[in-house]
Amino acid sequence: MNEQRRQVLQMLSEGKITADEAERLIDVLDREKPEPTPGAAPRSKSRPKYLRVMVDAADGSGGDDGASRVDIRIPLQLLRAGVRLTSLLPPQALTKVNDELNRSGVPIDLTELKPQHLEDLIDQLDEVTVDVDDPDAKVQVFCE
Amino acid sequence: MVPQLVTVRYRRSDGRRRRLYVPVVPVVLALSPLLLLAVSAGLVACSATRISPMGALRGTGQLLWALPGTRFEIDDGRTAFLISVR
Repeated sequence: MNEQRRQVLQMLSEGKITADEAERLIDVLDREKPEPTPGAAPRSKSRPKYLRVMVDAADGSGGDDGASRVDIRIPLQLLRAGVRLTSLLPPQALTKVNDELNRSGVPIDLTELKPQHLEDLIDQLDEVTVDVDDPDAKVQVFCE
Repeated sequence: MVPQLVTVRYRRSDGRRRRLYVPVVPVVLALSPLLLLAVSAGLVACSATRISPMGALRGTGQLLWALPGTRFEIDDGRTAFLISVR
């Protein structure tokens, strides 16, 4: 029995509050979230493992049926491994890519993009949900 | 876990279906002489482009290990295509 509940019962026994009031107070205490313990895991929900992209289009361009469907499932671990590979790019290559991007009117400095940033991006992907509902197509991007 | 089975399934525009199961380990063993050549060529390419060969090998290994569970499916009209890695 926790301390607050004991105090409510103590007030009830001393006649400071009525039984109804005690019941209401105990209900309120029950509704309160328990405080997380320092050693406990932040989330009990299991972490998603896959990035899923689903597209359902009613008026596809190919075939007589007219419908087209795309269903892609990519392990998030695969994205992480891909990101780690990008860290192998030599600085000279990044400089050349930057020059080309500048020439094309996209002034993005890829040398500023650190592997750690991309890792963080992948880590946050599990929270991503994109749901597009169109009369002709339905697009869903989510993690599972 | 290393990929063990790759399933390729497709349906052509004439409606005929094809299904192909590729057991990865036996195929890799059968192609190991070619793979050795490919790895050697990769190492030479790495040294020519000043990419760390060990890093490239490690990265490729991580990519391979992360592949199981990948599924790529396209169904467009009368043509369908599926690649699944297990």
